[in-house]
Amino acid sequence: MADNKSESKKVSRRKFLVRGGLGTIGVVAIGTYIFRNSIRREILGTVNSLDLPYTDNTDKPMIWFEVTSENNILLHSPKVEMGQGTFTGIAQMAADELSVSMSQIQVIHAASSTGNIDSFATGGSTSISGLWQPLRELAAMLREMLLKEASRKMNVGIDELTIEDGILSGNGKTMTYAQAAEGVENWKVPDTPVLKSLKEYKYIGKPIARVDLDAKVFGDPIFGMDAQMPDMLYGAVVRPTKIGAKFVSADIKPAENMPGVVKVIVEEDFVGVVANSMLEAEKAKDAIIVTWEGYEDLNTDAIFKIMTVGNGKSTIIQKHGDALDKQDGIETLEFRTPIGAHAQIEPNGVVASVEGDSAVIKISTQVIGLTRKEVASRLGLDVEKVNVIPTYLGGGFGRRLHTPHAVQAAVMSKAVGKPVKYFFSRKEEFQHDMFRPPTHHIIKGKLNAEGYLDGLEHQFVSGDVGNHSALIPDFLPPIIGADIGAIRGGFIQYTGIPNFRSVYWHVSLPFATSWWRSLGLLANTFAMESFMDEMALKANKNAVDFRLAQIGDDSIGVRLKNVIKAASEKANYSEDIANGRAMGFAASIDAGTPCAQVVEVSIVDNEIVVHKVTVSLDPGLAVNPDQIRAQCEGCVIMGMSAVLYEQMYVENGELQPTIYGPYQMALMKNAPKEIDVVLLQGKDTPGAVGEPPLGPIGAAIANAVRRLTGERLTELPLKLSKTM
Amino acid sequence: MNLKTWFVFLMISIVGVLLALANTPTIFEYHLLENQQSEINKSDEAFNKMMDVLTHQRCMNCHPNDNIPKQGNDRRPHYFGMARGEDDKGFQATNCNTCHNSENNTYSGVPGAPHWSLAPASMGWEGLTRSQIAERLVDKNANGQRSFDELLKHMTEDELVLWAWTPGIDPNGQEREVPPVSKEEFKNAVEYWLDNGAVIPTK
Amino acid sequence: MEISFTVNDVLQTVNVEDENTPLLWVIRDILDLKGTKFGCGKAACGACTLHVDGEAVRSCSYAVKFVQDKTVTTIEGLGNRENPHPVQLAWVEEIVPQCGYCQPGFMMATAALLKKVPKPTDEDIDNNIINVCRCGTYYRMRKAIHKAAEIQAEKDTNESNMV
Repeated sequence: MADNKSESKKVSRRKFLVRGGLGTIGVVAIGTYIFRNSIRREILGTVNSLDLPYTDNTDKPMIWFEVTSENNILLHSPKVEMGQGTFTGIAQMAADELSVSMSQIQVIHAASSTGNIDSFATGGSTSISGLWQPLRELAAMLREMLLKEASRKMNVGIDELTIEDGILSGNGKTMTYAQAAEGVENWKVPDTPVLKSLKEYKYIGKPIARVDLDAKVFGDPIFGMDAQMPDMLYGAVVRPTKIGAKFVSADIKPAENMPGVVKVIVEEDFVGVVANSMLEAEKAKDAIIVTWEGYEDLNTDAIFKIMTVGNGKSTIIQKHGDALDKQDGIETLEFRTPIGAHAQIEPNGVVASVEGDSAVIKISTQVIGLTRKEVASRLGLDVEKVNVIPTYLGGGFGRRLHTPHAVQAAVMSKAVGKPVKYFFSRKEEFQHDMFRPPTHHIIKGKLNAEGYLDGLEHQFVSGDVGNHSALIPDFLPPIIGADIGAIRGGFIQYTGIPNFRSVYWHVSLPFATSWWRSLGLLANTFAMESFMDEMALKANKNAVDFRLAQIGDDSIGVRLKNVIKAASEKANYSEDIANGRAMGFAASIDAGTPCAQVVEVSIVDNEIVVHKVTVSLDPGLAVNPDQIRAQCEGCVIMGMSAVLYEQMYVENGELQPTIYGPYQMALMKNAPKEIDVVLLQGKDTPGAVGEPPLGPIGAAIANAVRRLTGERLTELPLKLSKTM
Repeated sequence: MNLKTWFVFLMISIVGVLLALANTPTIFEYHLLENQQSEINKSDEAFNKMMDVLTHQRCMNCHPNDNIPKQGNDRRPHYFGMARGEDDKGFQATNCNTCHNSENNTYSGVPGAPHWSLAPASMGWEGLTRSQIAERLVDKNANGQRSFDELLKHMTEDELVLWAWTPGIDPNGQEREVPPVSKEEFKNAVEYWLDNGAVIPTK
Repeated sequence: MEISFTVNDVLQTVNVEDENTPLLWVIRDILDLKGTKFGCGKAACGACTLHVDGEAVRSCSYAVKFVQDKTVTTIEGLGNRENPHPVQLAWVEEIVPQCGYCQPGFMMATAALLKKVPKPTDEDIDNNIINVCRCGTYYRMRKAIHKAAEIQAEKDTNESNMV
């Protein structure tokens, strides 16, 4: 890296902007670096990041691409791959602008030592949309630089050269990118090149197979749980079973002489044990007698009581026209959603190695920068000396937006002088999750003489989502006035209604609640779209027509109407019950992406069965339509799981259950046999995909059940109260 | 049985016990004190002991009447939709032995015993009265053509039956509840009841 | 205690202090085959599914002592890039995985199913494939299972024609 600094300075005179993306504005410069047999080409950058306290001083090089001697491109991704397909999308973007084939692009997670660290996180359905412009520009720049060098070396004019699959040809000569790059000391940095037109793209817009498909089908060791380091030992940390319990002291004698135990480590805030194997560490952990303090014997009822509209602080997040008056004719419904677990199958885990003044952390994380900062801070290391190497994530869903276990593993590693691998047991994973908070909603509406809403009011309360999370600095929420996560989906999308408002109440619970895929969207849309359906019934109107008539004509409103029409047409939405099946409809907007869904539901043995789901999504430009479909299918099934089966409860101060099964989730037999996805393109850039389809599913199912049974279900998970 | 009969029986029993304690009885004398009524009562007592076990969740969970194995003290349906299948051992590729071995697993808390399986559908007991269970127990058409001797052997020697007294720990590390009657008492009760004609109490 | 068994066609002998050590950890940490995953350790999620003598087994709940002289197949031995198993081919064709963590367990359970039921119905799939996937890939998995059955059938026909 030292070499690059001077290089970086040299070229910094020729600055050019990389716009947007990653929440950054910065300059990109180019340097060269010879690395063993392969030639590495680095694009170095200095970046001014969002003014968040954890963000790194980014006046350092950033590696995005390397050209290998085999004429392949290594793309260092600042975004992690957790199943959402980002690696494939960005490979398509890079391949097209670099004029190489898909098979020539290998995407890897950017280690923090590359300097290519996302300034925020992988999450919020922003990876493809955020990288759309900057990544293509970076790739195009690299292409231009290689083109210039090739032109010089080949003695062929730039205009006479064409590029295909990373091979430059012109005037009867050919040269690979690798040959073009070889030996170049001083790169000529072009101005931001003109990007190709959409028509010229071979891969963008096509249903390309996932780039990580083979690795995942043949069982490659790509996950955090698979990570290893030489001479690695295994750690375990004693965690309380009671909510709010703080570590006071520990009797470690029983554990110290157990087989395989290397060391028991007592810190101010935790006690951990390091052993030769995971099972030995776990057994020793169970033998440690810990004194805890500060816990209370909570139960679910007490939590629901706290989580009631009217408690906590309120903020009006949306206001149009007048408030609902107290006159007659106001319809009111209340809704509740439970505590939800992430339940990702790969437990949180990490391998940490601390040696002298530096550390290496291999981990499944959605927050590389935060992981690095916390480890550095606890161990008193320079952040530059902590290299976080992200792995593939065995599910993210927001669970890996804070990684305090990385700090614990690093502390244990330092104590034993060897690398330490540490991961959660499933019980710990369930009890120390950062849950989707429970919510309560009171929705009021008043129909006018024509049977449309004259006024609509959504009052809702949620626990922390963004507030008090490690990602959001404590000074931000008071400025914003509301929890930016909890309010997702809490806005009224029927802006054609003359009078509406949305009021958000905030309550913090005594246990951690935080980011869960789609944040407030799942709960808020369940409540809002159930209410809308009830109003349509009350007004004796078709649920789709009722909605369409009350959506505004701004651009997002038009896009919402289009997905509603597309879904209802594709599914042949009907309010008749046929063959014991009823249809249910719901729609939502999340992160600028509208989504509508039609479900077909029947009741079998008093259980709700979802047979078919039609999804219409407008994600803007679809970089990879197949992966967008996969996200829609996944969101539908994960959403079904959450709204039909899942709930954590609190008993005697403990979060329960602690295992799959008792924590019921959708299985193969519960998944719909048909999922029909219709993609619309209502804008010419890519938008959010990974979360928006989670919105409508809950209400769509509840609305179908209402039409089938007459019963309006207002609580998740949806359970029929009477036997059919 | 009216109160008077009970009283007489009780008195006779007490006298019998007293005589026994006096260390003077002979087998002959002992037999003298018994009457048919006391044998019936002993048989009933044995029957009830046996039934205290058979109706306990450790046994009942695998003798369902709906093809769905049950779990836990609350006899909830087995998680993940496991069911009897064609051979009482689950489905073709995912069956009892996918998770259950020939002994309890202390790491996972998954219980195990040899030939872990559901009792045949003909031996479904869930929802039956004690008398109805007993009827099935001795009915050769239901019990797999077992004679009393074979039944005795099955109930007192089969490792899967006897697992009820060594059920191990559950996935949370808690000891599973054992039946309210000890294994030896159960064995004796079964033997006594069968030896005495497997009389099913009529009350 | 020394235990010998065959893993993916290779005879292995391992030395374990606790004969009840779950097979999963022997496979992952001693034999360094990381394709078999740890998800719950309670035989609930199915991520650790592998084959013992051809039968699907949840290896987190299978004491290593039971595997003596038996044959184990893990995802690495089911097939590889050069010689993929029909289930793996179908998984690639349908682009099933998302995060991918649970997939080896599902593929092993599916391979075991196809051995018993070469042409499974939807009901057979619902009954036998009871692993947990959080990303919600069940919809594509079902398609892939049917496709795998077709590929397997084709392969069997071709092989019998060659004889």
